[in-house]
Amino acid sequence: MPTIEFKAVSKVYADGTHAVRDLSLFVQNREFLCILGPSGCGKSSTLRMLAGLESITSGELLVDGIRVNEVPARQRDMAMVFENYALYPHLDVFANIAMPLSAKGIAKSEIRRRVEEIAEVLKLQGQMRQQPRTLSGGQRQRVALGRALIREPRIFLMDEPLGHLEAYMRVELRSEIRRLHEERSATTVYITHDQEEAGAVADRIVVMEQGRVQQSGRLTDLIDSPTNRFVASFISEWPINMLPATVTTNGGRTALCVGEARPALTDCQAAVLSGVAGESLELGLRPEDVELVPPGGPGDLPGRVIVVEPQGGMAVIVIETSVGRLNAIAETERTPNVGALIGVSFPPGRVHVFKPDGSNLFARDPAASKG
Amino acid sequence: MSNDLANKAALPMARSRGRALLCYVIAFLFAVYCIFPFYIVITTALKNDREIFAWPPVWLFHATLANFYDALFVFGGQGAGTFILNSIITTGASTVLSLVLGSMAAYGLARFRFRGRRQLAFWILSTRFAPPIAFVVPMYLMVLQLNLLDTHIALILIYTSMNLSLVIWLLRGFFAEIPIEIEEAALVDGYTRIQIFWRIAVPLVQPGIITAGVLVSIFSWNEFLFASVLTQTNAQTLPVYLSGFSNAMGMAWGQYMAVGVIALLPISAVAFILQRYLVRGLTFGAVR
Repeated sequence: MPTIEFKAVSKVYADGTHAVRDLSLFVQNREFLCILGPSGCGKSSTLRMLAGLESITSGELLVDGIRVNEVPARQRDMAMVFENYALYPHLDVFANIAMPLSAKGIAKSEIRRRVEEIAEVLKLQGQMRQQPRTLSGGQRQRVALGRALIREPRIFLMDEPLGHLEAYMRVELRSEIRRLHEERSATTVYITHDQEEAGAVADRIVVMEQGRVQQSGRLTDLIDSPTNRFVASFISEWPINMLPATVTTNGGRTALCVGEARPALTDCQAAVLSGVAGESLELGLRPEDVELVPPGGPGDLPGRVIVVEPQGGMAVIVIETSVGRLNAIAETERTPNVGALIGVSFPPGRVHVFKPDGSNLFARDPAASKG
Repeated sequence: MSNDLANKAALPMARSRGRALLCYVIAFLFAVYCIFPFYIVITTALKNDREIFAWPPVWLFHATLANFYDALFVFGGQGAGTFILNSIITTGASTVLSLVLGSMAAYGLARFRFRGRRQLAFWILSTRFAPPIAFVVPMYLMVLQLNLLDTHIALILIYTSMNLSLVIWLLRGFFAEIPIEIEEAALVDGYTRIQIFWRIAVPLVQPGIITAGVLVSIFSWNEFLFASVLTQTNAQTLPVYLSGFSNAMGMAWGQYMAVGVIALLPISAVAFILQRYLVRGLTFGAVR
């Protein structure tokens, strides 16, 4: 059963670019793993090393516990779907899907049977004799999926397979990809920079940045408990608010100071913060977690509403405070008026405090979620 | 108001129509200038001796194929048949050989990064920097040493070596234009490099290969210098045969032109049949 393990894998390109640094990652059998990150974070290099399209500079790559660093791509028995489809432009849809089978020298009748089977699954029966250039983007990506599926590979690799598609097509195809993954009980490694897509398809998400794994876990883990500043701001529906904060200790009592505000802390949080008294910290609070209360409440941050942007049933509210602007999300009917004085309350479980090195002091057991 | 607009629009339209007319006139004159020699060659080949020298020129005449018959079967004892065959053999073989070797070299230069890649490409180009006449004597001595004087192989090898740089430089751009992912997909699909070359890369650069093939075969078909120095009877090609016409027995214009027509035909036919690929090929690299 296919498992994949990266052991301290690094990739340095000829021009000196250090694309992947010391990557250690274990992908379980039948897991659907998403590697999520901004462009240039090393996610594509990781996938290409896995596919055998890029050499591994150092470290070990194991598939089923066997080192495959030196195994050429064609012998790895993995199927890959590319962002720009990479169909063979001179071959029709049938021949494109059949290519991996003809490589193995499988009999014509058997190829025909299997291609037709795949075409039915992907609803491509009507297009079998068409050239790729006559197909729509969605159809092209279906052909690319068909070409990957027909080999019945142990491992699926997908490099931003939906990146070039229209939004509605992305939603349709991603559930298709998830379904095919379940049906084939394959192990899938999927690359994307779209957190919504990652959340929709993946069992587990690995966030990469600057060639390193930042955090891995389910989307809700990444949102509720980001290990560092990067994950907190990257995995976020709306840009996370960052406010300067410090910690004071006064007679055994630890307080977090954000301007005039003293957010409520749990005992556990207070204990963690007592170790960083005096350091200049940052408080992160997602707009959707901001609680707007009447002004003057103890511990709240006073502010004034300066902009209200209605967005469907919700509205983005921009609030000016003594420590900078912050955004809040509220239901449209509960939106304060522009110019209103209000208080910003910090719900204890939703607050993140980042050290100058970027790590989140409030992350739940960062060691456990390190991939 | 609308009338005004129409007038304003009509003026530039008239001007552009005038410009188009001028273009056509110039193009027509240029076409006449280019085609006239062909016209003379073809009509002379079809006239009898009296009509050829008639003044004023005879525009209407009874076409005869006698000159062709003479040229092919009688003239010089054996006619032009052998030389046509020699030309076909050397042109065909050197074209195929330069395309096979050149496309492989071009693919290597386009796809693999290795030390000295640019220098190698430049060196290949530099083989065409010196005028061919500079190599005639050393080439002759080499061919002599190899015992290949007056053989097809000598000409085939020399034409191939002269054509390779053109094929490589032309096709290198074509191969580089193939999106790398297509070949990577094939690698993942289980193909070896050499299979990818034949089954994916070559079909995708087909317009380039046809373009290169046409250019190369025109060169080989018309090459005179090396053929005249390196061949005598066995492997002599049409251009050399044509040049020998005047010395043999005065100037037999009719037969001479008939051979000229025969020399023109195959290469024109090839260029004509393949021209739609040719046009696609020459623009492919630029536009994508």
